[in-house]
Amino acid sequence: MSENMKGFKFVDEVYKDPIRKVKELRGKTGRKIIGYICAYPPLEILTAADTIPFRVFGDVNEPITEGNRILPPVICSYVRSIVDLGMKGRFDFLDGLIWSHSCDCMHKGGFVYTSCVSKPVHYILEIPTTTSEEAINFFKYELMEFKGWLEKLLGREFSMDCLKEAIEKHNRQRELVKRLYDLKREDPPLITGTDTLKIISVIEALPVEEGNRILEEVLEEAEEYGSRPKKRGARLMIWGSIIDSPALLQIIEENGAYVVVDDTCVCSRQFWLHSNNPHVKTTGDLMENLAKRYLIEVKCPRLYIGSYGTLKKDYKRDLEERFGYLKDYISKWKVDGVILHSLRCCDVHGYEVPQVKDYLDMLGIPSIYIEPEYDAKTLPPLKTRIQAFLETLSQL
Amino acid sequence: MYFAGVDIGSTFTKIVIIDSKGDIISKVIVPTRAEQRKLANKIMIEALNQANLSLNEINYIIATGYGRFNVPFADRQISELTCHAKGVSALFPSVRTAIDIGGQDLKGLKIKDGKLVNFIMNDKCAAGTGRFLEVMADLLNLSLKDLGEISLKSKRKVEISSKCTIFARHEVMEKISENVPIEDVIAGLHYAIADRIVRLVSQISIEPDIVVTGGVAKNIGVVKAIEDLLGYKVLVPEDPLITGALGAAIIGKNIVEGALSRGEEIRVGCRRLEEVELYW
Repeated sequence: MSENMKGFKFVDEVYKDPIRKVKELRGKTGRKIIGYICAYPPLEILTAADTIPFRVFGDVNEPITEGNRILPPVICSYVRSIVDLGMKGRFDFLDGLIWSHSCDCMHKGGFVYTSCVSKPVHYILEIPTTTSEEAINFFKYELMEFKGWLEKLLGREFSMDCLKEAIEKHNRQRELVKRLYDLKREDPPLITGTDTLKIISVIEALPVEEGNRILEEVLEEAEEYGSRPKKRGARLMIWGSIIDSPALLQIIEENGAYVVVDDTCVCSRQFWLHSNNPHVKTTGDLMENLAKRYLIEVKCPRLYIGSYGTLKKDYKRDLEERFGYLKDYISKWKVDGVILHSLRCCDVHGYEVPQVKDYLDMLGIPSIYIEPEYDAKTLPPLKTRIQAFLETLSQL
Repeated sequence: MYFAGVDIGSTFTKIVIIDSKGDIISKVIVPTRAEQRKLANKIMIEALNQANLSLNEINYIIATGYGRFNVPFADRQISELTCHAKGVSALFPSVRTAIDIGGQDLKGLKIKDGKLVNFIMNDKCAAGTGRFLEVMADLLNLSLKDLGEISLKSKRKVEISSKCTIFARHEVMEKISENVPIEDVIAGLHYAIADRIVRLVSQISIEPDIVVTGGVAKNIGVVKAIEDLLGYKVLVPEDPLITGALGAAIIGKNIVEGALSRGEEIRVGCRRLEEVELYW
């Protein structure tokens, strides 16, 4: 890759083969590459330890074969895909891998991975499912354990000053991603949903400083180019399970609509888009700050928010507490309709769908529920459904 | 002015031409085969001949159905869900729920003031569609169109527990070997398919008036079973196969009339229509 490639060109190039790029960086800098699978592991810790955090994805274009030998088909196909790729050696290049207890499939998937795939060494991060003070304390304790594991793996410790510096860099990254999403508030949006996913998957494969530089370049270029898509189209939000490949977004955007905002794991959730102040404090107990912010700000339905434990339930208030941020997304990004996406057998999202749908109905926002497999080949039959949904939003 | 709707479904291909009053002046229904592009050409020529029109006299042509991208003379493609909703509302303005049971598709449509507002479709499985009945008619060595009448003679329908076409076929074979009267077996099959249909469509909450369309709507036994399970009477159009094509033609009419009223130019596609030879 030529050294002077910038912005969108750089994104396109790295997107084709992020593993090659990150291995190249390791060769140059000697920094170890630590893979992570969900939005909860605080990347600040990985950056402070002078490693490269690398977001591990499944592969919708790789048929699951080996993985099916050890995991039954009722297990989330995304987790099965990662286990499958691991068995086929895709992640051998990593120096470490963090699984998270984000959901039961991921948790147990992590155990199965360890017993069937020897490389790389791994850590399973425990994450509480409520945000009580005790839960935050527990998460802080867990992060300390994790820090210890990491330091042992690397054979060196890192100082709180390093952590402070890392937090500042990641605070900056969250801010830049927010600005990237601001470009999508224009009509037509300056960046399509497909491009957003590409940009974000590239920065999630690079060290934070590198990612920040790319984001700055992309922001500058996007503003210079003026509006990239020329035609106006329906403005959609996509909510739900992980989307780590553009296949689904392409099907939607080929129909003339734009995914202007998302509430999904790889993109907005990872960067706390909903938050007015997506910063971790750099004073006081830094590990506690991280524990608190990560637990509260990652908007994953695995976490139970709302009137938890109260006997008198107020359904509407409950929905408002859980999904109020979606109302902000809808008004800020002028959303016409919502696609609710739950991967087949994704319990965490599947259970949430009826309530999210209720909430959107209350707001008068049309929505459609889709439940595809994590497999690009199974997506084309969705075209008719997406087209019909867009037609219901139009004047036809 | 004239408007055409072409609906290439999994089992039948339908063309409807309407005039500016919205009246049907021509309709053609033929089985869908391979070479859908050729077939579309052939039956469009047939429909034009029937109406005594040339292609250029048609102001707008909309293609729909799962073969909608195989119509080389269409001006626009619209999904069959929107087209069915429009066609059904034209025939029954009071409709709130439409159930379209095609050869491989099962659709539930929620309609408000003539507009599609919500829908549900079967996913990967063709149980609950015409294919289910085709397989069973074949097994019983009966003609598909006779199943309805025969089932009405049933006094005690059998329970077909499985909703899967393949497993249900096994069950039917068992019943045959037990010498169960054939009308009771068929009645059981009709309830099995109706049960599948009602369960799926219930997800968008069924409200009357309810209209049933598609090839399976021609089967009186299935229609009665649906009514029984729903607890509502349902409406069936005189020709339940053409609602999609009719809706497509009506949408074309609306598009043209809308453009004219706004003083806009009507943009038609790059139409290609040619005489073709078919291998079958």
